[in-house]
Amino acid sequence: METKQSRLSWGGLALLLSGFCALTGFLLLPVISARASTTNQAFVRIIHSSPFVGTADVFVDGNPFLTSFAFGAVTSYAAVPPGPHKVQIALVGKGVGAAALTETLNVQPGGVYTIAAIGTAPTNLNLLVFKDDNKAASGTARLRVYQLAPNGGWMTLHDGNESLAGVNYQQASSYLTMDTGASSFSMASTAKNKSLSLNATLKANTVTSIFAVGMFNGTPGARLVSAQVAATPGMPDTGSDPAPLPSNGQWSTPWLLVALTLMAIGGTLFTRRLLSSRW
Amino acid sequence: MSRQSTTARQSAFYTLLLTLCLGLLACSPTDTARLAVSNPTITPTGPASTASAAPASSIHPDRLLIPAIQVNAPIEAVGIDRNGDLATPTRNPWEDTGWYADGPLPGTQGSAVIDGHLDRPGGSPAVFWLLRQLRAGDMVKVHVSNGATLRFQVTDVEYYEPQNAPLQQIFGDSSGIYLNLITCAGDWIPNQHQTKLRLVVYTRLISSH
Repeated sequence: METKQSRLSWGGLALLLSGFCALTGFLLLPVISARASTTNQAFVRIIHSSPFVGTADVFVDGNPFLTSFAFGAVTSYAAVPPGPHKVQIALVGKGVGAAALTETLNVQPGGVYTIAAIGTAPTNLNLLVFKDDNKAASGTARLRVYQLAPNGGWMTLHDGNESLAGVNYQQASSYLTMDTGASSFSMASTAKNKSLSLNATLKANTVTSIFAVGMFNGTPGARLVSAQVAATPGMPDTGSDPAPLPSNGQWSTPWLLVALTLMAIGGTLFTRRLLSSRW
Repeated sequence: MSRQSTTARQSAFYTLLLTLCLGLLACSPTDTARLAVSNPTITPTGPASTASAAPASSIHPDRLLIPAIQVNAPIEAVGIDRNGDLATPTRNPWEDTGWYADGPLPGTQGSAVIDGHLDRPGGSPAVFWLLRQLRAGDMVKVHVSNGATLRFQVTDVEYYEPQNAPLQQIFGDSSGIYLNLITCAGDWIPNQHQTKLRLVVYTRLISSH
């Protein structure tokens, strides 16, 4: 009988330990899962800002990516796998074999990019990559200006009479935090002594991009193009404190109370079992 | 007789404790994600000379239904909190879900996002307590204020540390019509007053009527 009781005690403890080990392992698994995430893609949008290429088709890794992509157009952000990608641009309908530009771009996991097709001459096409940051600024709007007009030189963005940012060709400003509402923007070229204008409504929790494209005193003419996207907020806090301090002298944690009661019963039974097996 | 009684009590005792362990296991808020490998594709996007911001419409999502985990919850519109993070429902924090109203409307192009609490203060379940049980193929429905019912299918389930979450992917992927559900997961970190992880359930629209 003693032997059998002893076996039962050890067997029971083994079962308990197995249960706790399973529980411990179970609790660790989500961390491993988080590390093993494989869906962290990159995001790219493209603006056609090369005045010397008409409506074009864009190919990525040899596959059609955009068709009939007109000068001054901006795509929305598209997901692409991180890593190197071969980007080719050809006049519309000519096919990838007639690409006027072939370039390999490397995009990082989770990276967000604006890719501008630029060029100062028909034989001098290029892709310019800007790393974007579309994070939200609570309740405000964010704004960034890109200077992609080849002969615009240094250009200054104004909101009414207020100077906001100055950028040279192939540059983008830092992100500006703006009040929401309607704005009348102008962008002046110092070299050309000319100004472009654009009316836009900046909405809360959005990111607006203003692009200067085209040729001053040329074709296609210089103009401002805007694109507005919803800002990306941070992750919400959707958890709660599992053991908050009791308020008003009341137990606000019924689950904790149940757990403590079960532990007290279990502990008492277990102690009695051990004592009885020794006697 | 006495020996049989003792043995029976021992068995009952260990069974009780083992059940307790298994119960904790089943109720743990930290579940394992299925290590789904997404199948990213390069999707063409149409040129948009001037993109518009969040839809300015009186149409809004009314109710979220997830049959696999018995969720049938009202949807509140939520914005961004003072930290720049997605806000959570305020009308009924534990029973309601929150749609990010500055993002796309569910059923329109882009990634609509709905969040919900995992648990209440003290640890008892809230609306997304069982979200971790969803698997690829499960159905998610949204009733919209115009009477439409949108049916989405789960494509992926992922856990992220909040500071390393792919925000553009969750909120800004406009290559399709998506609905992404978010709640908390992992251990509670007292000094940060948040859980260690966030759970994101990715879904894709399959029908609308």
